[in-house]
Amino acid sequence: MAGEPPEIPGPPEEGYPPELARLPTGRHGLPREFIARNQRERLIAGIAEAVAEHGYAGTTIAHIAKHAAVSRRTFYEHFESKDECFAAAFETVMEELRGRIARGFEQAGDWPGAIRAGIAEMLAFLVAEPALARLCMVEALVAGPVVVERYDAAIQGFVPYFRAGRRDLPRETLENLSPTTEDALAGGMASLISRRIMAGREDELEDLLPALVEFVLTPYLGTVEAARLAREG
Amino acid sequence: MSVSGTVAVCGRFVQLGIAFLGEYAGTVAERASQAARVPPGRHSLPREFVAQHQRARIIEGLAEEIEEKGYRAVTVADIVRRAGVARNTFYDHFSSKEDCFLAASEYAVAEALRRVQEAAADVAGWPAQVNAGLAAFLGYVAEQPALARACIVEALAAGPAAAERHELSIQAFVPFFRTGRELSPAGDELPETLEETIVGGIFWIVHQRIVTGQVGGIEEVLPELVEFALTPYIGAAAAKQVAGEPSPAN
Repeated sequence: MAGEPPEIPGPPEEGYPPELARLPTGRHGLPREFIARNQRERLIAGIAEAVAEHGYAGTTIAHIAKHAAVSRRTFYEHFESKDECFAAAFETVMEELRGRIARGFEQAGDWPGAIRAGIAEMLAFLVAEPALARLCMVEALVAGPVVVERYDAAIQGFVPYFRAGRRDLPRETLENLSPTTEDALAGGMASLISRRIMAGREDELEDLLPALVEFVLTPYLGTVEAARLAREG
Repeated sequence: MSVSGTVAVCGRFVQLGIAFLGEYAGTVAERASQAARVPPGRHSLPREFVAQHQRARIIEGLAEEIEEKGYRAVTVADIVRRAGVARNTFYDHFSSKEDCFLAASEYAVAEALRRVQEAAADVAGWPAQVNAGLAAFLGYVAEQPALARACIVEALAAGPAAAERHELSIQAFVPFFRTGRELSPAGDELPETLEETIVGGIFWIVHQRIVTGQVGGIEEVLPELVEFALTPYIGAAAAKQVAGEPSPAN
């Protein structure tokens, strides 16, 4: 019953303007482009570390620069503000997470298995990287409207995966599915996971897998089949 | 006026004040025109009535400012200007913007819960109670969009204390759905977290409507939410049937 994998957007193009490529190399002998990319990555890692230590509100540009081992001036060469730097960090983590979920989903043999694999990948990542989990699901919410909008979009990113469950369903079942079924499922799942992280109960995340699988499968396969599939494997 | 006359008048104002708060239900515009603005300076109204009235106005002011600017950008100066109270008055009631926000959330959840329970009490059978309760909830959101936005969309922007309050607000609605287990063949074999994910999903649908500026017609999502909530307990077909029935008029 494996359907076409949903259209998953790839990572953003890392283009550098031609002007940069033409610049002469600096004192260090490395091309400016390489340095710039390297600095940007370090700033992204730096803000993740700084926020883990100080919380978003308590993080300053000085903290970020220090963790990234760059000057404040260099920070401002890459980002206009803390918010902007955090948005880049958020996107970086989300790309990684999206990639893992996509791979889990694609490798499964059927849709219910794909749902289980995708959710399992997500939970495994959040458990393995608790600082990044808090960055994405706790700190992101106080980091300004741009990040909040991306957070919301990330939740909606599950909709195509769930929607794939509509393929091959009998017509009667399809008629019972409202247009917002997938949204409600994505929102319910995200709410539970984020609340557990906020409550410092990250150790319970992987235990949530069967319940989340059952929750997602139920509208498509019915309560009995959803429960059976959720508990096996 | 005689002393006893003054006491009688004050007593009446206290009654009105309590009724007013119990009926904290009018639209922002309605209440702004109805509620007599308490003039500054000395007056014969009892202190508690004035205080409660001011508290409600400040909370309303906060909600309106958040709707306009987002939580982070709002200042206490903005709030007091909108509420028409003195800065000192704000600090009589609240220690900070965050403190005010938490009070607003607490108030809104209590009121939402009250309306849900009141609506549910009017009908028999859990599925119909869910229908009536969700209708009442959506009605409240439609009636108080600024407060709804503050509590549902901006709820977590205010930091860790807000996260705790959000947790409590989800938990507050869990028992309402847990009753459904009595109707399910699976009963307590249903996952422990089911009610939390249902409440979370409902909040998310409302959240989306608010951020896309569609809160005006929010009551139209009632049948979808009823189906979503009931299906895990009584199955899709039965859930759809209940969702298709009209809920009692608010």
